[in-house]
Amino acid sequence: MIEVKNLTRTYEGRVPTQALKGVSFEVEAGEFLAIMGRSGCGKSTLLHQLGLLDTPTSGEVTIDNENVLELLDREQAEFRLKRLGYVFQEYALLPELTVLEAVYLPLMIQGTEKKEYIEKAVEMLEKVGLKDRLNHLPAELSGGEQQRVAIARAIVNTPKILFADEPCANLDSESSQDVLELFCELNKKTGQTIIMVTHEKEDREYVERVIWMKDGLIEREE
Amino acid sequence: MIIEICLIIDYFLVIVSCILVFYFHCIFIFCIPDFNLMLKNLKISFFLAYKSIVRGNKGTLSLTVLIMTLAFVNLIFISSIFMGIVVSMNEGAIENEFSNIVIEPGVDENYIKQVANMQSLIDSTPGVMGSAAHYVAGAIENFDENKDGKDIKSTSRPIKSINPENERRVTKIHENMVAGEYLQKSDRDKIILGREISGGYEASLEEGMSIGVDVGDEIEVIFGNGVKRDYEVKGIFSTKNIGADQMIFITEKEMESVLGTHNMASEILVKIEQTGQEDKYIKEFRRIGITEEDIKPWTEYMGMVASVMGSFNMISAILGIIGAIVAGITIFIVIYVSVVNRRRQIGILKAIGMKEKIIINSYILQALFYAILGISLGMIIVFVLLVPYFLNNPLNFPMGWVSLAVTQNNLIISSVSLFVAALIGGFIPSWQGAKQSILDAIWGN
Repeated sequence: MIEVKNLTRTYEGRVPTQALKGVSFEVEAGEFLAIMGRSGCGKSTLLHQLGLLDTPTSGEVTIDNENVLELLDREQAEFRLKRLGYVFQEYALLPELTVLEAVYLPLMIQGTEKKEYIEKAVEMLEKVGLKDRLNHLPAELSGGEQQRVAIARAIVNTPKILFADEPCANLDSESSQDVLELFCELNKKTGQTIIMVTHEKEDREYVERVIWMKDGLIEREE
Repeated sequence: MIIEICLIIDYFLVIVSCILVFYFHCIFIFCIPDFNLMLKNLKISFFLAYKSIVRGNKGTLSLTVLIMTLAFVNLIFISSIFMGIVVSMNEGAIENEFSNIVIEPGVDENYIKQVANMQSLIDSTPGVMGSAAHYVAGAIENFDENKDGKDIKSTSRPIKSINPENERRVTKIHENMVAGEYLQKSDRDKIILGREISGGYEASLEEGMSIGVDVGDEIEVIFGNGVKRDYEVKGIFSTKNIGADQMIFITEKEMESVLGTHNMASEILVKIEQTGQEDKYIKEFRRIGITEEDIKPWTEYMGMVASVMGSFNMISAILGIIGAIVAGITIFIVIYVSVVNRRRQIGILKAIGMKEKIIINSYILQALFYAILGISLGMIIVFVLLVPYFLNNPLNFPMGWVSLAVTQNNLIISSVSLFVAALIGGFIPSWQGAKQSILDAIWGN
């Protein structure tokens, strides 16, 4: 499903930094994969390239046989909207949108009818256990709840791939467990491909495969 | 020249705004072949803008709208004061000195003849409010305060004659008597004069220009034809129009006895219902048979005042341009800061797959909302508070009572200036934010 070939990313600056030094790997459809490694090893950078949030210096990323790096900006936006979901470390919710609005926004952008996008958003929020928080603003929620809203938003348009960048980094252990169990459930019930960056070794028990990174390269796979 | 440059800049602003409106129109209509898609995108932009306005920081919203409002009021106020001075000077000239149209004798003629018939023709023209015939005679006015032949104060000003009844329909001198009374038709040895001749009553010319008389004093007048008469000062008027306040009036009957004339006039002033329509009436007067006389609108008599008004217009235009630029920059900064603070949100929206166009349009809509609200509140302040206040409490300027004169042109230019500033202020930072990489926007780099 995902094929990564010789992916490099160099951050230009006074002293150029090579964050990815030629990464290649494949991900099967329906896989729950973790990318792990020490801070600064390039795991988040790799996720950003796969999620089309950043442009690599060189290499190829093929998703469903489509070289996504060759897409124009607006085509990439369309691709992100319809086929990718992204969960950030810091929730990344818009402060002016309620929980319900935040979740139905991707459906609204896709052109879904109002009745349908509200139904789907409510259904998704029920799935993440926030049905009683529909009209709350992000500031009125706990960190765990905000992250669950972000997850609901990321999966509401049933993307083929869900990317999660250290989704539990700002959560307490109980909320972290909830989020990871939710990912497992999604992966098992809907067959969604999930690629998660984490540095918590305990998270290994939730995933099927782990790619260990070191100094911008894949060190090993488990 | 400077006025023309300022006008060119004003029109340039209007053209820029038209181009911007056209540009956004193109974005919405032509760049999106699918009309439904255009509507859908616009709906999302509205949704984001609406939520941002309704649920955003109320303090920031209030402050932004307040700045917009004050910028608009500032633009209108300064230029309206200057326009008010110009209007006051024009009104002063029309109401007290020239009325709307002046008819003078033809070439090589000293007087207009058959005045009664001519006035009858003029007064029967629809839209004419009245006409007043004047004799104008050169004269020297002497005032011997102690009646001892010593320290005689003297001035040399032409004297005009009036028919007080007709004059009331054409000028407002009778409403501006500050001492004594206005002339009556039967008065023969009475004279009224402006405060610049009498002196006192806050006259603005130097003391040496006046003869220092008051109501009840007697002055000697030596007319250009050598006739010498004594007149009692019946009244003193102050119109605050410096030209009118240097005039001296006696009655028509008295002047005819001095000049030995009848049914003639040196000039006829004509009052019409609508100032600005003078040319139309001049054509009509020509058509009804007043062909030999010289007929001119009041504007041709403004002379030095016209150049003063030209200067005021120029200052007003320059201040308007500077005000528009300052307001534009202020608004740009306010909206710029507001959008820059939301760059993270722009990054988030892009990350979930929202098109740049929709994001930019949502910020432009917000900026336009600020502008429309600011302009609307500004108009309410101008028309509900400032204009009525200054109408009731006009400013006392040397050239007259001045209140705000808000012109349609001024309103359009000020509104367009703010609108353009808001468009640019909304577009540039949101465009920069939307063009920034998603990660840079989210991380605030």
